[in-house]
Amino acid sequence: MATYLEFIQQNEERDGVRFSWNVWPSSRLEATRMVVPLGCLFTPLKERPDLPPVQYEPVLCTRPTCRAVLNPLCQVDYRAKLWACNFCFQRNQFPPTYAGISEMNQPAELMPQFSTIEYIVQRGPQTPLIFLYVVDTCLEEEDLQALKESLQMSLSLLPPDALVGLITFGRMVQVHELNCDGISKSYVFRGTKDLTAKQIQDMLGLSRPVAAAQQGRPQQPQEQPFLSSRFLQPVHKIDMNLTDLLGELQRDPWPVPQGKRPLRSTGVALSIAVGLLEGTLPNTGARIMLFTGGPPTQGPGMVVGDELKTPIRSWHDIEKDNARLMKKATKHYEGLANRSAANGHCIDIYACALDQTGLLEMKCCSNLTGGQIVIGDSFNTSLFKQTFQRVFSKDLNGAFKMAFGATLEVKTSRELKISGSIGPCVSLNVKSPCISENELGVGGTCQWKICSLDPSTTLALYFEVVNQHNAPIPQGGRGAIQFVTQYQHSTTQKRIRVTTIARNWADAQTQLQHIEAAFDQEAAAVLMARLGVYRAETEEGPDVLRWLDRQLIRLCQKFGQYNKDDPTSFRLSDTFSLYPQFMFHLRRSPFLQVFNNSPDESSYYRHHFARQDLTQSLIMIQPILYSYSFYGPPEPVLLDSSSILADRILLMDTFFQIVIYLGETIAQWKKAGYHDMPEYENFKHLLQAPLDDAQEILQSRFPMPRYINTEHGGSQARFLLSKVNPSQTHNNIYSYGQDGGAPILTDDVSLQVFMDHLKKLAVSTAS
Amino acid sequence: MADLYVKPGNQERGWNDPPQLSYGLQTAGGGKRTPLNKRVPAPLQGSPTVPPAQSLPSSTPPMMPPPLPISNTGPPPLGQARSPLTIDNSKQCSREAQDEVPVDVEDILAPLNQTLEACKDSIKTQVFTEIGRRLAVFKEMWSGGKLSTSVQKRMSLLVKELQNKNWDSADEIHRSLMVDHVNEVSQWMVGVKRLIAEARNLPQEASPTEDEPPADGTTDTTKQES
Repeated sequence: MATYLEFIQQNEERDGVRFSWNVWPSSRLEATRMVVPLGCLFTPLKERPDLPPVQYEPVLCTRPTCRAVLNPLCQVDYRAKLWACNFCFQRNQFPPTYAGISEMNQPAELMPQFSTIEYIVQRGPQTPLIFLYVVDTCLEEEDLQALKESLQMSLSLLPPDALVGLITFGRMVQVHELNCDGISKSYVFRGTKDLTAKQIQDMLGLSRPVAAAQQGRPQQPQEQPFLSSRFLQPVHKIDMNLTDLLGELQRDPWPVPQGKRPLRSTGVALSIAVGLLEGTLPNTGARIMLFTGGPPTQGPGMVVGDELKTPIRSWHDIEKDNARLMKKATKHYEGLANRSAANGHCIDIYACALDQTGLLEMKCCSNLTGGQIVIGDSFNTSLFKQTFQRVFSKDLNGAFKMAFGATLEVKTSRELKISGSIGPCVSLNVKSPCISENELGVGGTCQWKICSLDPSTTLALYFEVVNQHNAPIPQGGRGAIQFVTQYQHSTTQKRIRVTTIARNWADAQTQLQHIEAAFDQEAAAVLMARLGVYRAETEEGPDVLRWLDRQLIRLCQKFGQYNKDDPTSFRLSDTFSLYPQFMFHLRRSPFLQVFNNSPDESSYYRHHFARQDLTQSLIMIQPILYSYSFYGPPEPVLLDSSSILADRILLMDTFFQIVIYLGETIAQWKKAGYHDMPEYENFKHLLQAPLDDAQEILQSRFPMPRYINTEHGGSQARFLLSKVNPSQTHNNIYSYGQDGGAPILTDDVSLQVFMDHLKKLAVSTAS
Repeated sequence: MADLYVKPGNQERGWNDPPQLSYGLQTAGGGKRTPLNKRVPAPLQGSPTVPPAQSLPSSTPPMMPPPLPISNTGPPPLGQARSPLTIDNSKQCSREAQDEVPVDVEDILAPLNQTLEACKDSIKTQVFTEIGRRLAVFKEMWSGGKLSTSVQKRMSLLVKELQNKNWDSADEIHRSLMVDHVNEVSQWMVGVKRLIAEARNLPQEASPTEDEPPADGTTDTTKQES
């Protein structure tokens, strides 16, 4: 057991990969009976400070349909200087530069510890990073001022040679010319009329003889060096003028009559931003950063009209098919997102407003391009300011934690096929023999494009075992998968990271216990959750819950130990013990439940759920709860109402919120001021400990979470009460005795009831 | 070098706004404490769990419905000694360090202007005047008492680093000022930033500290960039 835990952890640290199953069932039929699909969470750019990149090109298999990268699993004939591809078994000659290799003198990519290796390759000209700010000026004075300062601040955090550009919008859209002569010029566009990329480029005078990018995907990397543009200039050249320009930005001057929303041309502004980059710098790392303080109210991409008496669409409107503008707006933004993705540019959305801002319609811009979405109440909050600062944070080597224009290619052994991927990526529609017909997520391809990614960006990848039933265990006893990620590093180097992993096959009929023991319930929960959320986004809600329930029951039937029709006999082994409660909390989570959330909030939560790594995703599914007391060091406790005790302080992390909750007695002690008395210094320490731990989380979390300091009976205690399992409610509290924690006023099903039903259904002969 | 402190968030504008960590704290990175990432499996068998209640004898049991204020709560356990919690390494600089050494604006401006003069030949006239204009704004704000002690102190540090040609650390101080005090420094700091960049590009012999006699108390001109 412990060895598998270690194995899983080691693999995650080394290769950034977590599989649902770490021993694979050897036939298609048996694999489908495992209920949880074979899949993995893969973090392509997992931070590896101990992994120095090598400065040469990877060696590829010569079979045109394979092109796998030489890796430690390949068999090598050192004498004949040949290697056999472990995916297609092609025998390949080593290139001449490898003439000196021997058993004693191996290149890094053949050493077992380099199952993940990174190559720095030189291909084409290097272009600087590009940051195009698209700024809403229909903000309150205080918000605009704070935003201006944050943008000025960002100029100090950007790499000096990065290119920056500025587009502002309100009723009109202005593209600002950046130059050093101190005269500010801008091109003004109407916010009501959409323009094609060609029109935008013509109007901005960007047309050039070289065939500019059209609607299609320009495949060729740009051949000539950067074409100087008046709209995008290196930070170190225009920082002073841009600081002034930003400082002088005024609120949108058009009067907003009583009872109206300001006219906000977000749709056209984004369209111009996408067109500008598409025309000048296709296939280079670029971020379009949209800062907006309200919904788009005119022109293409309009989400709500300017009449304040018409509220922005709610879930209720959507269910009643009463969201008039939603489809059309979504289509507009999807068009932009796809164009942007094709060009390798990402779109970030920073939306700060108290009401909704149209994220539901705009989310695709970020979801398809790997961009960030951050929502806050105001730009003048530490939540926005710090989150924005963290976009520019650096790793241990002083390089920005952002990468661009990545292509992830997956190769598999013959017995496996790729079903699809779920994450901040788009399909590149590349066919290969290893693509499954059964799609899960975005399938039908072996390559995906991720326009922007950071060290935590994580994709879920699903596979299908295709080996026939009763066929012998495949050659070598192991199956292999190779992940090849080509990307632009923040230093603008082109890099290729290659991860090659292998797992043992096992016959599920005779060796089920091996497969069971190698189950990774955390990875499985997140993989199933991503599938569920993906379905919820594309299909109806209740069906997703039913589907998840059915899968859980089937899993318990398959791997539980029980006597038929005897629920009390039901047992799950350690490797499965947490899985049912993950599913229980997932069912209640904002990723599947829209109650109490606006469509924008749901989009926001789901956006982050589909890109974070396993640890963070799991926190989102089942928040972490720690208890602080006088009886010992902080300890993890059940996410259960019974953990809410009078003499404890609780620290809950839901990823989006950090909650510190003082139990009743603690709160009274604090009110009485004991922490200020020297003889009760330990009480002061007790109060401080969760604050320090919370600060540690705040220091690294992206985006910044909301921070809630509350106590027993406080109105904000609801954040805790709504997350804990309601094992004690107003319905059953009196049947339980005294010291049991805090009853929750809810009719929601508790984990215990959920488990009782699960056991009953799992052991039932009828189902 | 950079200050380590935590300011409360803007509760007026942001609901449950998190505290604001200073640039120094943000870049320091965490990881000293054990990560809080453990979970307890809910027991599958038996009735709903009630963990062993370890309530202090003096504390009141939880009540339902929400209890009225009860005054008979005893005190917390006495103790000045360390509780079993690990609280060492707790951030010591929880406030902005406020050194009361008065700094004269001329002590800071003079070296900046010297550096600017040294760069004069290698930069465009327009850039030269732009930087000069920003230094004037800086002086005006300083004289008008619009700059906090923290900014003043860090500026004098920045100038020292600049004189010692520690470009990277001067640049780092500039960044920390932009992040922590953007509302005070945004108007003029970009001039200082450009000045650092231009001075860094100067050929060695033309750099100011070698030409100028150490008139302003700068004696440590030999220190090399680390």
